[in-house]
Amino acid sequence: MSDSETAPERELTMSRAIVDAIASEMRANDDVFVMGEDVADYGGIFDSTEGLLEEFGREKIMDVPISETGFIGAAVGAAQVGMRPIAELMFADFFGVGMDQIYNQMAKNTYMSGSGVRVPMVLMTAVGGTYNDAAQHSQTLYGTFAHLPGMKVVVPSTAADAKGLMHAAIRDDDPVVYMFHKRLMGIGWMPAPDGPKTPVSDEDYTIEFGNADIKRRGDDVTVVTLGLHVHRALEAANDLDGEIDTEVIDLRTLVPLDTETVLESVRKTGRLVVVDEDYHSFGVSGEIVARAAEGGLDDLSAVRRVTMPDTPIPYARPLEQEVNPGADDIADAIRGVTE
Amino acid sequence: MSGDTIPVDSEAVWPADAEDVEEAVVSNWFVREGAAVTQGDAIAEIQIEKVSIDVPAPTTGTLTDIVISEHDEFRRGSVLARITPD
Repeated sequence: MSDSETAPERELTMSRAIVDAIASEMRANDDVFVMGEDVADYGGIFDSTEGLLEEFGREKIMDVPISETGFIGAAVGAAQVGMRPIAELMFADFFGVGMDQIYNQMAKNTYMSGSGVRVPMVLMTAVGGTYNDAAQHSQTLYGTFAHLPGMKVVVPSTAADAKGLMHAAIRDDDPVVYMFHKRLMGIGWMPAPDGPKTPVSDEDYTIEFGNADIKRRGDDVTVVTLGLHVHRALEAANDLDGEIDTEVIDLRTLVPLDTETVLESVRKTGRLVVVDEDYHSFGVSGEIVARAAEGGLDDLSAVRRVTMPDTPIPYARPLEQEVNPGADDIADAIRGVTE
Repeated sequence: MSGDTIPVDSEAVWPADAEDVEEAVVSNWFVREGAAVTQGDAIAEIQIEKVSIDVPAPTTGTLTDIVISEHDEFRRGSVLARITPD
């Protein structure tokens, strides 16, 4: 119609963008399959595999027993003999029981074998809180996985990024930990904030790992963040518009980490706020600040971290909200580095 | 524009096993007003109790009106949106 305004043809929730990428890769390559708890009939408890069983059947979308060590090990073995598995760890918090398979096998067998075997697999896992699932089902644990060499670590914050990052993860010949935040998925019983639902191209596309995205440009303060907190940082930045001009950097991947984009921004603004839903100590926020100090100390005049405290995540709704960084907390930190 | 629009009817997607449920909520819109839509493509997702249902476009055309906004509740049979057919 000649008089109609051009509007985006479709927008997808983050869960649908992930499913879109997985389905497309499975259509193109017989070696790609999905395994995990409740990935078949249930479609993933956060809709990460919704609808795949119908198209691909049970030989390719495999429900597995509640035995994380067993099925993650099976995925490692399958990858080593030429398949490209996507193993879903239902909650990142359950990593401990499978950590030998994740860290000693998945992450290291390429190196230990002198590249005799590769481990092209995706460990897809749900992270984060905000919906009162208590201390053992609400962690992000970004720093835990990013700390351990041999795995790439990917954290989408929007549907468009989620699709491109998933295509890249499946095609990568190295193991990739793909950490999606439950609150961003856009499922019916857990509404997403504004922001993660975006136009998503019908075409396949990849987002190269190690490329952070400047989601908002600004001259006064650099905010570095990822996952859910991209959207809270943008909310804080918009609230401060006219008072402080805030740049928001979405890391998108932790391994490899796009240090240069952070440094370029810090050289411009001189002030750094890092926002992380992980615990305060020994994590991503400390790493970002350390790299900023190493690479741009002369330009840095102020630094703040806004994180979960070092405490188990409370069940009670007001307490959980209190410990999780909100837009107000971020705005306070932005003001704090400009005083 | 001809002015005639086709309603996106919630009754058409109401599942048989929810005969006794009278209300639902729009979980997501996947297109904005003004977007081109193709018959059969999912343009919205509604949630009836705990079940999510995709709402297909009843015809190909332009989505001219979103009547029930995202996260709003509505009653069975409500018109969710209107499409001007090509």
